[in-house]
Amino acid sequence: MTAELIAVFLGSTIRLAVPLLFAATGELVSERAGVVNMSLEGMMLMGAFAGAVGAALTGSPMLGLAAAILAVLPIAFVQAGLTNVLRANQIVTGIGINILVLGLTTLGYRQMFGERSRATIPGFDAWSTPLLSNLPVIGPLFQQIWLAWLGLAIICAVAYVLACTGLGISIRAAGEDPQAVAKSGANVTAVRHGAIIFTGVMAALGGAFLSIGDIHTFTEGMTNGAGYLAIVAVIFGNWRLWRTVFACLLFGAATALQFQLPALGVQIPNALLIMMPYLLAFLAVAGLVGRQTAPRALAQPFWP
Amino acid sequence: MIAEAGMLASDAAPGKGRGVTPLLAMTGVGKRFGAFEALADVDIAFLPGEVHCLLGENGAGKSTLCNLIFGIHAPSAGEMTLAGAPYRPAGPRDALSRGVAMVHQHFSLINELPVIDNLLLGGRLGRLDRKGEGRRLESLAQEFGLTLDPAALVGDLSVGQRQRVEIVKCLMKRPRVLILDEPTAVLLPDEIQSLLAVCRQVAGAGCAVVLVTHKLAEIERVADRVTVLHRGRIAARSDHPADEIDALVQAMIQRPVARDGEAASGVLALPKRQRPTPLVEAEEAMQLDGVSFLDRLGVRRLDDITLSVDRGEIVGVAGVEGNGQSELGAILAGLMRASAGRWFAGGRELTEASPRAITAAGVGIVPEDRHAVAVVSGLSLADNLFLNRMRQFARLGLIDRPRQRALAAEYIRRFDVRAEGPLIRFGSLSGGNQQKAVLARELTTPDLRFLLAAQPTRGLDIGAVEAVYRLIRDAADGGVGVLLVSSELDELIAVADRIVVFYRGRIVGERRADPANRRTIGALMSGQAA
Repeated sequence: MTAELIAVFLGSTIRLAVPLLFAATGELVSERAGVVNMSLEGMMLMGAFAGAVGAALTGSPMLGLAAAILAVLPIAFVQAGLTNVLRANQIVTGIGINILVLGLTTLGYRQMFGERSRATIPGFDAWSTPLLSNLPVIGPLFQQIWLAWLGLAIICAVAYVLACTGLGISIRAAGEDPQAVAKSGANVTAVRHGAIIFTGVMAALGGAFLSIGDIHTFTEGMTNGAGYLAIVAVIFGNWRLWRTVFACLLFGAATALQFQLPALGVQIPNALLIMMPYLLAFLAVAGLVGRQTAPRALAQPFWP
Repeated sequence: MIAEAGMLASDAAPGKGRGVTPLLAMTGVGKRFGAFEALADVDIAFLPGEVHCLLGENGAGKSTLCNLIFGIHAPSAGEMTLAGAPYRPAGPRDALSRGVAMVHQHFSLINELPVIDNLLLGGRLGRLDRKGEGRRLESLAQEFGLTLDPAALVGDLSVGQRQRVEIVKCLMKRPRVLILDEPTAVLLPDEIQSLLAVCRQVAGAGCAVVLVTHKLAEIERVADRVTVLHRGRIAARSDHPADEIDALVQAMIQRPVARDGEAASGVLALPKRQRPTPLVEAEEAMQLDGVSFLDRLGVRRLDDITLSVDRGEIVGVAGVEGNGQSELGAILAGLMRASAGRWFAGGRELTEASPRAITAAGVGIVPEDRHAVAVVSGLSLADNLFLNRMRQFARLGLIDRPRQRALAAEYIRRFDVRAEGPLIRFGSLSGGNQQKAVLARELTTPDLRFLLAAQPTRGLDIGAVEAVYRLIRDAADGGVGVLLVSSELDELIAVADRIVVFYRGRIVGERRADPANRRTIGALMSGQAA
């Protein structure tokens, strides 16, 4: 009984953490390159919406996923242009984009799904990993849709690129001292453009996971702060990839607890648990969870 | 060609290297930043196999020249050629691909990354063979007698070690032209030796080495040819620099001879100061007693400075920049503590005093770097005029703005600050008016006894220079002791009563501020004991 509950808890932890993992990994790359991509929330929401629309119109969740990426790319281009070319304040532009996307998706949702707001849309089904899913107790852990495994693969690839390639050095260096990168003959603007676009794709995947991967429907403002939470995970992870992954899992677990604790008969006000990730983030930013070492040139526009 | 007056004797003689095709040539090159002319009419050729030193004071245009060659800035006028072909680099990347590398004054290294990553930055994007590349670079470094630890974090290295990394980063690109922008400013003496040896070796391999410096000992040791810049123009050249150090120093520190042939020392329209005879007995305004300063790396920047300034006296501090003047200024302003020795002003010991306590003791400070430490450009002129004395306007904890404005308006009139009004943003004033405003604030310090004026006329036009010195003189006539630090020897001679010469952190001589002593003082500045 208890073992079963734990397995369910772990399974839902991962399910809830996957969208954060996508978005946070993308955000990590941006921030290591020196750009705070505050529009992450809007990118995720657009990904969730476009994924739902694509899947509903075509009947194919794969095409929905493609639509999610295509719809988020323009946002990434706008963000890249604003921050790297026009050198606008990254926080302000990001929040502006978030508000814009919230309005756009809400309007679009009401236009398209207005009458049948409860209808499910075609989505991805959970995927029983051969062998692993049959394991006792932890078996349910491996009953995830394939996007979760894609996420894991991308995270490993990002870890490799950041640590072992010349591109990775350029990305990390662009976030620390862009002037020095330029003097070394690398193209800071190109690196930062690329990082923002990568973040856009990752946020689209994370958002689409929410709508067509997890619950097979779209609701207004359904990301509900997941993008901000992913940014918090990067901060909590002290801009290190594996610590950020850990932070996402921690936040996923804190959210999963909201549903598990009542089942266990523990009475804690739900609001406290919803607060939890943000509270942890406060502690992290306040320097109580180790020293914070943000990239030195984070959020600073680059002037050649 | 170049202003004839600035040419040294050897220019007339056929110098070595004549007839060799220059590796890099600039003709008529100029660079403007807005209204500021950083470089003008520069004709210069860098030959293969030579170490070519660029000599000049701060702000003479040396760094601008380097940045043009390395593609950080584009010239506003003139042409450059590299090995005979037109050369107009679009940026550092372009310059590097054409074989031009630069050791930057502020290194192009990322402290957070290990040495090897720094060296490979900007190269290939794919998978890196850190081990193999590390070995290859270590042996390249050894070729030049340098050691390298590829795994070390750059942030953990000493400045000298970082510079070696920066040099290897250039050498690994096998450059044809190697620019070093004031590479020795941060080094210990034995590190300088090995750096100069590297320069020679690189030149020996057929490169053109461009070495920016204002240290004369290095020129004697390593330079094949020297070009002196002054205020953005070429002031002199020499093919035998070791024999012409004196003349080079003169060219570096004096104003370029005016077009109508007016003597350099006549530029200032101020009459030579006649110091009023002391009333009864000279009273000391400021005293330095054996002050020394060691920087973070343990380099001795000030060495046993003992000096006193009487009330009503103007003492000039002459010296090539970087010989301890900045450190002395920072100590007197309370921004740094002397490592040894004590100092006094107005009879009070201020060795350990805070800037506020120093002001309270009647000391006014016109610092060298106005923008960094004297003013807040974003605040109004009126706020800047009372930045350290705002409390006088306090009324129930609020600033009595009308009273502040009225007093500001009075200061603006009295010190002839040309501004539209007291509320104008400080940063929008011209450099001269900004400096007059700083002087207005410092000269109105209550009970002012001593004024430090560090490079008070840097970057000012001639009218403003005269106005600033008039104010300083008036203060001295009113009984304030003034220590005037300037790299413009002619201005010191015109304004000061006596001049002490700084060389490598020591006072190497003292002379009356008399035009007749100009040559001796110049010799002292170049480290030749008179």
